Amino acid sequence: MSNKNKITAKQVSVFYGSKQALFDVDLNIAEKEVTALIGPSGCGKSTFIRCLNRMNDVIDICKVEGNIEIDGQDIYDNSVDVVQLREKVGMVFQKPNPFPKSIYENISYGPNIHGIAKDKTHMDEIVETSLKRAALWDEVKDRLDQPGTGLSGGQQQRLCIARAISINPEVILMDEPCSALDPIATAKIETLIDELKSLYTIAIVTHSMAQAARVSQHTGFFHLGKLIEFDSTEKIFKNPEDKMTQDYITGRFG
Amino acid sequence: MSEHIVKSYDEQLNILKNTIAKMGSLAEKQIKDATEAAIKQDQEFADKIVGKDDRIDDLEKSIEEQVVNLLTMRQPLAIDLRETVSAMKISSDLERIGDLSKNIAKRSRHLDKNIGHEINKNFSLVSEKVQKSVKIVLDAFLNRDTKLAEQVWNADQEIDRLVDICMNSILKCIEEKKDGAAAFSQLMFMSKNLERIGDHATNIAETVYFLVSGKYIEGDRPKGESGIVSGQ
Repeated sequence: MSNKNKITAKQVSVFYGSKQALFDVDLNIAEKEVTALIGPSGCGKSTFIRCLNRMNDVIDICKVEGNIEIDGQDIYDNSVDVVQLREKVGMVFQKPNPFPKSIYENISYGPNIHGIAKDKTHMDEIVETSLKRAALWDEVKDRLDQPGTGLSGGQQQRLCIARAISINPEVILMDEPCSALDPIATAKIETLIDELKSLYTIAIVTHSMAQAARVSQHTGFFHLGKLIEFDSTEKIFKNPEDKMTQDYITGRFG
Repeated sequence: MSEHIVKSYDEQLNILKNTIAKMGSLAEKQIKDATEAAIKQDQEFADKIVGKDDRIDDLEKSIEEQVVNLLTMRQPLAIDLRETVSAMKISSDLERIGDLSKNIAKRSRHLDKNIGHEINKNFSLVSEKVQKSVKIVLDAFLNRDTKLAEQVWNADQEIDRLVDICMNSILKCIEEKKDGAAAFSQLMFMSKNLERIGDHATNIAETVYFLVSGKYIEGDRPKGESGIVSGQ
């Protein structure tokens, strides 16, 4: 059984100048579930995910068509404040990118600019909760004043996840969050994703078929800018309907 | 099915398929030979059959090894995963078929001249049906054919009916004749073995259906009516 849809995308097309990167994508993302997007490089999966918090706005030549709603609200409507949208829809990237600041400041930065913390005690609480939710607290609690960039790759990525959840988002987008990590760090992030889904709606782009199978409840397969197949993760990896999906996930794609 | 980007993956899956085919044809031959040894009461032949079962067991081990290797090295998905897992299941059914045939051969040593023409005829008939099912189900596997798999699945009912006739004719002899009860009892078990082989062919049919379509055959297995076989 699926949860209700948090995000609905209808007929989404994206253009970079004259080049079309996405073609009429219809895709729904269920609330408090993990949705994985897979497909070969250049298939449009990252482009799609970046539409969900309007990250594509920063690219001048990028044009987004179609309709994307979060909780029934059109996020490309003129009345939408992009800063508030990104407060609601956080993002974690392929390469861990902590700020060149202390571990504490990495987390407190967001709540600060969004004016979330009432006072110092409240901010301490937010930092602690965020780091705990990101399963990093025990490893860093005695060195919060040290630079975030001094942590290991896996820790840095969990710091970035803690930073994303510090402003209490409803949706977390992850663009290949484990591709720069070793298997142990990857396993920690995957455990974390599994835990976080009770609180947040998560969309993850991954090149690892096994990762998609392990962490997600629904999976979408993209190819050449089109959504080829979308179904429960179990169905996609056990018995996909589309031959292209099957060829891709079994390593037959030429 | 198009080929994998990694060629050696295709080779491994092909070898697996061929090993199943080889194991299947050996198992099929064992049923045929064990039946012949029983009908002709040829003890020497029966001994040979018993000795040949090791080859089937060795192939099962080989399949198990290949499957574990595939799972470890390739992490197969979708059709490849179904193929890998199915190979393991089919090989264990074939191994059981081999054992049951061996057991028929062993028991055939205890038969005697009391076994009349009618019983032999009934027993042969069951065996032929069972061999046919095993042959067809192997073809279904090799050709990825769900229609053939369904045919075997549906044929099990007829096998059960024939086994019942066979067993009843044996019972009748036990009741009518003063001696030979021991030999007749052996023949009862041998008939039951053939019926079990039919069940394993049905299992394989279900596996093949799942392997090809990714779905389970719908409905309950067709069962024979009340009789000795069903215990009803």
